[in-house]
Amino acid sequence: MTDRNERELHPADLAGAYALHALDATDVAAFEAHLAESEQARIEAAELNDTAVALGLAVAPVQPSAALKANLMSMLASTPQLPPVPAPRAAGPATTDAPASVSGATSVVAPVTPAAAEPTEVSGEAPTAQVDTARTDPAAPRPVADIRSGTGSTSPGSAAERAQARWFKRPAQFLLAAAAAAALFVGGTFLGQTLNTNQFESQQAAGLAQINAADDAQRAATTTADGQEATLVWSNKLGISAVLVDNLPALPSNQDYQLWYINAEGAVPAGTFDSSGDGTAWRVLDGTMHAGDQVGVTVEPNGGSDQPTSNPIVAFQS
Amino acid sequence: MLDLMTVDPAGDFASVAPATKEELLARVAHGDQSAFGELYDQIAPRVLGLVKRLLVDHAQSEEVTQEIFLEIWQSAARYEQSRGGASTWILTMAHRRAVDRIRSSQAGRDRDTKIGIRDLAVAYDHVAETVEVRLEHERVEKAMTRLTELQRQAVSLAYYGGFSHSEVADMLHIPLGTVKTRLRDGLIRLRDELGVAS
Repeated sequence: MTDRNERELHPADLAGAYALHALDATDVAAFEAHLAESEQARIEAAELNDTAVALGLAVAPVQPSAALKANLMSMLASTPQLPPVPAPRAAGPATTDAPASVSGATSVVAPVTPAAAEPTEVSGEAPTAQVDTARTDPAAPRPVADIRSGTGSTSPGSAAERAQARWFKRPAQFLLAAAAAAALFVGGTFLGQTLNTNQFESQQAAGLAQINAADDAQRAATTTADGQEATLVWSNKLGISAVLVDNLPALPSNQDYQLWYINAEGAVPAGTFDSSGDGTAWRVLDGTMHAGDQVGVTVEPNGGSDQPTSNPIVAFQS
Repeated sequence: MLDLMTVDPAGDFASVAPATKEELLARVAHGDQSAFGELYDQIAPRVLGLVKRLLVDHAQSEEVTQEIFLEIWQSAARYEQSRGGASTWILTMAHRRAVDRIRSSQAGRDRDTKIGIRDLAVAYDHVAETVEVRLEHERVEKAMTRLTELQRQAVSLAYYGGFSHSEVADMLHIPLGTVKTRLRDGLIRLRDELGVAS
C-alpha cells in the first residue's frame, strides 16, 4: 500500500505501526532498511516492541484444551529444530519479512489441531464437525522475526539456510523419532489395554505422529453426547486415524470404550481404550481406515464387543 | 550436556524454584521436550489469550497457538536472551502469527469490524485469573487514558484488532499518514507511561 495523497513520510514514522505488526511488506522493508542505518531507530523499535508486548500481557489468559498440548508433544519428535543463527550475522539491511509472510500462516506446522468444536462466533464456519483439509508443506521454517531491534535476523538468507530449510521439508526420520514420543504423553491418559504396554504405547505414539506428519492429514472436531471435546484426525493415504477426547469420564472396571469403523458393510471393531477422566484420552484405531468411513465410540463390556451394543457417545464423518 | 542433565522430571531432585522461561527456552533449544512442556504450561494461556483476542474464533486460535509453539520449538536456538525476555520473544511471535492469520484468511477479513473497535475494557470481560494479569491490565488501562482519543483508537485497532494501518485509516476516516504518526506517538506515550525503556 502506498501513500496516495500524502507527502513523503520519514521512515521513522513507521516505528509505531511496525511494532504493532500493522505494516505491509513494502513498508516493513522500508522501515527495516531505516533500522539498519540508525542505532537510535533500533533502540526506539525495541522499546516500542516491549510496549506492544505490555499490551499483550494485559489480555486475560485463556486455558487451551488439553488435546492441544498432547497433540503438540506428539509432533516434537518429528519436528527438527533450527540451529542457532550462524555467526557472523548477515550484515546490511534486513530482509523483509515478506517471503515469510507469503508462506505465512501455513508454514512449519502440521495441520492437525485438536481444537475445540466450540461454536464459531464470527467466522462463517460450521460450528461442529468441521473438516479442515490439511495444509501441507510442514516445511519452510519461517525465519524468526527479529523481535527486538528488527535488525534482521529474519533474513531468509544464505544458501546454507535455504538448504537447511529444504531439509526440513522431509523429516524422514520421524518414524524413528516417533518412538521417543511415546514417553511424552505424561499429561494425557493413555491406557490402551493390549500387549505389553511399552510396545503398544510406542506404536500408538508413532501412529499419532505419523498422522500428524502426513501431507493429507485432516481433522474433524465435535463434542460427545456429554459435551466433551472430541477430535478425529486421519490420513486417507496412510489409512489410519486417531480419536482424541478431552476429559472423557472414567468407566467402571467392567466397561471399556470401544472404537469402530462404520461403513456400508457395518461396524468394524477398531480397538478399546480407557480414560482416567481428565486430560486427553486418545487412541490410534486398529485396522485400516477407508475414505468416507465413519468413526464411532461406544461404551462396551470389558474387552469390547463384536458389534456395538450401545449408541455411540460420539461419531465422526471422515 | 550439562544443561540437559538438570532436567529430571521424574526425579525428586527438582529444584525448589520453578525454572524461568529463559532457562526453559535454553533447554528447548537443545531438544529438551520436557522443558518444552513446562514452558508450554507456563505461557500457553497467555499466548492463546492474545491470539483469541485477535482472532475471536476459538478453534482457529488453538490452531494458531499450535503453530506458534511449533515455531518456538523449531527456533528456540535463535532466541537471544541479551535481547529481551522469553515472554517478549514469545508474545511478539504470537501477535505476528495472529496478524498473519488474519491477513491471509478470508475468515479474518470477514471479521466483524466492530471487534476492532471494542475498548480494551470491553475486551477484558472475564475477570483476570491472576493478580499479575489484573495489575498489568490496570497499568495498561491507566496508561491508555493518557493517550488522545485518536491515538488510543488507532493503537487498539492495530494491536488488539490486528488491523493494518490502512485498514485503521479507513475505519477512522483519517489519512494513512496520520495513522502512522498516531500509532507512533501513541506507542511512545504508552512507553513513557509504562516506564518501558532499555
